[in-house]
Amino acid sequence: MTATAHPDRNFKYWLVSPAIFLLLLIGLFPLAFSLVVSFMRITMLETDTSFAGLVNFTQLFKDSRLWGSLFHTALIIAIALPVELVLGLAMAYLFLDKMPGRQLFVSLLVLPTIISPIVAGATWRLLFDNRYGPINQILGWFAGHPVPALWTVNPNLVYPAIVFCEIWQWTPFMFLILLAALSNVDRSLTEAAEIDGARFWRSFRFIVLPAIWPVMAIAILIRGLDLFRIFDIIWALTEGGPGTMTETISIYTFVQGFRQFETSYTAAIAFLVIVLLTVIVTWAIRRMGLAK
Amino acid sequence: MSDLKISGLHKHYGSFHAVKGIDLEVPSGEFTVLVGPSGCGKSTLLRTIAGLEEASAGRVEIGGKDVTWARPRDRDIAMVFQNYALYPYLSVYENIAFGLRARKVAAGAIDKRVKRAADMLGIAPLLQRLPRELSGGQRQRVAIGRAIVRDALLFLFDEPLSNLDAQLRDDMRVEIKRLHQELGRTMIYVTHDQIEAMTLADRIVLLRDGQVEQLGAPLDLFERPATRFVAGFLGSPKMNFLAATVTEGAVVLSDGTRLPLPPGRKVREGQAVILGIRPQHIAMAGAGALPGHVRVAVVIELVQPTGSRVHVNMPLGGTSIIAEFAAHDVTAPGERTTIDIDMNRAILIDPQSETVI
Repeated sequence: MTATAHPDRNFKYWLVSPAIFLLLLIGLFPLAFSLVVSFMRITMLETDTSFAGLVNFTQLFKDSRLWGSLFHTALIIAIALPVELVLGLAMAYLFLDKMPGRQLFVSLLVLPTIISPIVAGATWRLLFDNRYGPINQILGWFAGHPVPALWTVNPNLVYPAIVFCEIWQWTPFMFLILLAALSNVDRSLTEAAEIDGARFWRSFRFIVLPAIWPVMAIAILIRGLDLFRIFDIIWALTEGGPGTMTETISIYTFVQGFRQFETSYTAAIAFLVIVLLTVIVTWAIRRMGLAK
Repeated sequence: MSDLKISGLHKHYGSFHAVKGIDLEVPSGEFTVLVGPSGCGKSTLLRTIAGLEEASAGRVEIGGKDVTWARPRDRDIAMVFQNYALYPYLSVYENIAFGLRARKVAAGAIDKRVKRAADMLGIAPLLQRLPRELSGGQRQRVAIGRAIVRDALLFLFDEPLSNLDAQLRDDMRVEIKRLHQELGRTMIYVTHDQIEAMTLADRIVLLRDGQVEQLGAPLDLFERPATRFVAGFLGSPKMNFLAATVTEGAVVLSDGTRLPLPPGRKVREGQAVILGIRPQHIAMAGAGALPGHVRVAVVIELVQPTGSRVHVNMPLGGTSIIAEFAAHDVTAPGERTTIDIDMNRAILIDPQSETVI
């Protein structure tokens, strides 16, 4: 009865099918294609395109440079993400109250975020330059003698330099989002907590944090994913050097694909990244309670 | 001993002068109601007492200590907010316990005090719920519970009943009055509702434009208002105001109606006055005229029954006055009748200064 009573019951699927098809074409096709490529023996230097089986994937596990690059990426995330979060939150608190010139200051503070990361990286490379850069110059004034720090070469200084640039550029993003979230917290709640005798931490932990958490979790997720893909700033500053010391997974993938032309192997790396990210993001979304 | 003493308090917001020099002393255990129309500075005054707003000038003392510059948490106060301000992610129990935990009260004592407060307010079965699962009245009880559990010196209420419907408001008013009697604590209560003010207060502080207009026991203010504003603000329906002139020992209204001069008022012959008569002091004419009453013939214009009473509009002295009668005294508009006005309880107001003569 249902089938005859509703002859056009399936019509809606026909209506959405072109859009679905298009999405599959642009979304799924490259994925499937790279999966196919990862099982072959394609490089851009030879014409051999024979089937390779799992060779590329077993190679992944033996590639210490790959795992090193993943470790470098994780290291940068582990430092930059919490610092950006805490710094952004502190700044948002500072700008929560009305004050003269607030609008102007907020706009100025957000400027780094609107610069292209590759340009920001190049600019910082100039600023960090060991002979002509103003940073060494200024440090020299304080030290009382010339400071010839090799910010983009010295193994002890490259990570601080990279993480500093990353934080400089992306803290304003956290700041802006958290400022919006904090502004929406009901003022009378924090006032009630203050009268109740709660100090900052208790009031933040039980009242403010639960209120801003959904927004904050999204901000952490977005920044976390961005950091996982970090490329431009490091490329501009060190190109992954010295040696492979600051090579992140994005840089390593790029180098494999477009410097060493290992097309199939690059596809395998890309697939590994996809699997890793899917697992981590799914876990994070569950953990942060965003799936509800 | 006084629990709260305010002297010379001013509050500016930029160029807006919200509180203009208020002096107030609240004796221990008293229920003081700050009342006035919106924008009169009553909430600002309360928030300044709480320390949520900084005083621009003046001094606030709580329990004999100067707290003008103290943080809210160091003032020994508890406050109930208009929108309840319950912590949305904590259970009712934790909401009530929040202040005790913040002040590092021992766990056993917290449990005992939370349960006692919950019993007092009849919210014991709700302790494990979240605020969003409660009705408006229940939320208000939790908010009050959160305040009383603290055992503070001073309890502040910022229009706590204005978000409730009329029925619930009546119940909660009773509840608050009962709590005050049981706890015997000093309470300061802000409202714009004159009925709340009259029913709850030991003392009313009537505010207008950031200043104290008049201060005293509810009945004092009701029966002996100092200004036209006070006379008009308290009482429902509002007091009738009629323009009149003093002529040959009588008050003559603009339509020529002559009413006897209320006794003991210092007025000059020919002086312009405003005559104030409460709707309750006008009655349907009975068998014989009562002493001090004057009989006037009127035509009923409008009838508003309220159940046991009826509010009746009728033209008199060039305006429409309102009187309150028993429910069945009046039947329909257009009816001609006579009324008795109690001139002994009428007031005369100087139209220039708007003060009561």
